[in-house]
Amino acid sequence: MLDATLLALPLALVTLGLAAACLDAILGGARASAPFGEVARLLVQQRRRTLLPDTLLLRIGVVSLVVAPVLAGIVIPLADAPVADLAVGIVWFNAMEVCVWGSLWLTGWSVNSVYPLVGAYRFVAQGLAYELPHMFALITVALGAGSLRMSDAVQAQQGLWFVVWMPLAFLIYLVSALAMAFWGPMSQPVSDDLAGGVRAELSGPDRLLFQAGRYALLVVAAAAAVPLFLGGGAGPVLPSWLWVLIKTTAVLGLLVWIRHRVPAIRMDRFTQVSWLVLIPLSLVQLLVVGIVVV
Amino acid sequence: MGVTEWLLRRAAGHPRPFVVSAEHGTRARLLGEAEIARRRWRPAEPAGEANLLLVCGAPREEFDDAIRTVWDDMPGPRARVDLPGDASSGSIGQSLDRAVVHLADKDAQWRDAAARAGKPWSPGEERHSPDADAPRHGHGSHATHGQEHDEHEGGHHEHHMGNPGGLPMADRGPDRDGLSLDRLRVPMGPILSDWPCGLVVESVLQGDVIQEATVRWMRSGESFWSEPWDRAAAGHPVTRAEAGRRRAAAHLDSLGRLLSVSGWSGAARRARTLRDRLLADVPRDALAAPYRSFERQVRRSRTLRWMLRDVGSTEDGDAVSRLEGWLTWTRAAIESLEDETPLDGEPPARNVLHPGLLVGVELASARLIIASLDPDPAVAHA
Repeated sequence: MLDATLLALPLALVTLGLAAACLDAILGGARASAPFGEVARLLVQQRRRTLLPDTLLLRIGVVSLVVAPVLAGIVIPLADAPVADLAVGIVWFNAMEVCVWGSLWLTGWSVNSVYPLVGAYRFVAQGLAYELPHMFALITVALGAGSLRMSDAVQAQQGLWFVVWMPLAFLIYLVSALAMAFWGPMSQPVSDDLAGGVRAELSGPDRLLFQAGRYALLVVAAAAAVPLFLGGGAGPVLPSWLWVLIKTTAVLGLLVWIRHRVPAIRMDRFTQVSWLVLIPLSLVQLLVVGIVVV
Repeated sequence: MGVTEWLLRRAAGHPRPFVVSAEHGTRARLLGEAEIARRRWRPAEPAGEANLLLVCGAPREEFDDAIRTVWDDMPGPRARVDLPGDASSGSIGQSLDRAVVHLADKDAQWRDAAARAGKPWSPGEERHSPDADAPRHGHGSHATHGQEHDEHEGGHHEHHMGNPGGLPMADRGPDRDGLSLDRLRVPMGPILSDWPCGLVVESVLQGDVIQEATVRWMRSGESFWSEPWDRAAAGHPVTRAEAGRRRAAAHLDSLGRLLSVSGWSGAARRARTLRDRLLADVPRDALAAPYRSFERQVRRSRTLRWMLRDVGSTEDGDAVSRLEGWLTWTRAAIESLEDETPLDGEPPARNVLHPGLLVGVELASARLIIASLDPDPAVAHA
């Protein structure tokens, strides 16, 4: 069982990542085979090198952007058990996602260019804005489940899914999932008005790894919503791994669709909303859950 | 067939084009963008992602240098298409097909890469490439195409504690909070995505806040959008319908740029599709309903209003009022698409970019201000 899950995680990340890219291409008016063409193009493309880059830090930044979501995904139950059912699974998930801050910062800084540096600063600002509401949402789930283990969170949802009585936490989680993967409305760090932001100077295999890491993050963020809020593999008739797949695909589809539906949100305006509205809301939700549980 | 060739062929079927519009290039640019949308290619919005460069019009010397820098910086495999200002839709299609064939041609791409292989660039050196740039257009990175913008550049050379990479260190200056921060000279443009082509904003950045800005243009005014009025003034019979069509297309083009810079790619795509259909002489009945639904979607978006409120406030209003103005004028122009009465009056005035609007503003807002004005040099030099 452990071996199958160990193989299933990277396979699921790659498959769902490609599916998300194809959906994004279709919604953007291109052909569904565009991601495959893009992968082929990046594999044969020359690598760009700027003046005096810090190559070691650049490689660390780009590679860690791919490694972090894989590590974050090892605690997510794919069927009934995750690859590693850590006692502090929820905290581990949060910690791995915070590693992304480091990778984006390193990538943006080490190419010695203005626009990537500005993009990296934007991501730091974004992180400060979304991280606290995100953590409170995760704490709400842990409080409801009485434990930091993801499978305990699934067990605690046998009667009623958390999304029903913690709707605010779910919404805040979705917003922070977008911010964590710097996707859609939260894509200012890599936005086109900065000529690509953090990834402006990446080309060829570096860019391919960066894009792969970004999609993997999106998939992991969508997949984590399932054991945390949507009851894990629970559901009639179908086996639990299929339910996990269906629910993950639904959340992933929603996140991809949002990108084409909503303008990008700038962090100087979002920070006000995040600190003045989202944090109090998440605290109120935490209070309600605390009262119910106790 | 080797792996590289197979990958090249797969990649050539999905090129990422980037369109540059030079002197008198607007007509060709619009036809090119329509053709790209028809083929369902994904445009490379930052030029750094592109592998197909489409140059429309006849660039003047300085702009040509900038284009050549973008072309030299493009990683292989790459292809370039130069379109004259009066290119027809069919010839554009053929040029794009030839470019795709060139992208899939392994030997040609290897020769191209071998011709470019050489020492990496250092400041103060001539570029060892077949088309050599002037030294002052040397550059280390790619983002603002055409001029220098590395981290260590400054205007003062009094005392330098070493020159890393041969470039002088940045000088310091006071910023708005009274701190002393590095000042970085960054020219924005002339070739950026969703940017008025040929505009250069020479800015001095501290962090990402613009402290000083100067505006100059690398091309003269575009006469495509005011063509019906110019023809009417010259005595030819022009109907209000033609003028309305051209005006609606102009505003939809500006709306597409503003929505794209705001990050709303779905709405930008709708605006551009409507613009292409207008320019393809689609009758009013087929356009009125799609336009109304697009207008409703944009007007109802509270996120867009939240982001654009108080951006670029002048006495005429801010970015939201300019956006709404464009939407209203476009609706009126589409209503007049069957009005056969002769045209009289002045062409709609294009906005002017005052450099003072950009001072003290951070980069994202500056891009939004410029996109919400969508300025043109003809008016700026008036």
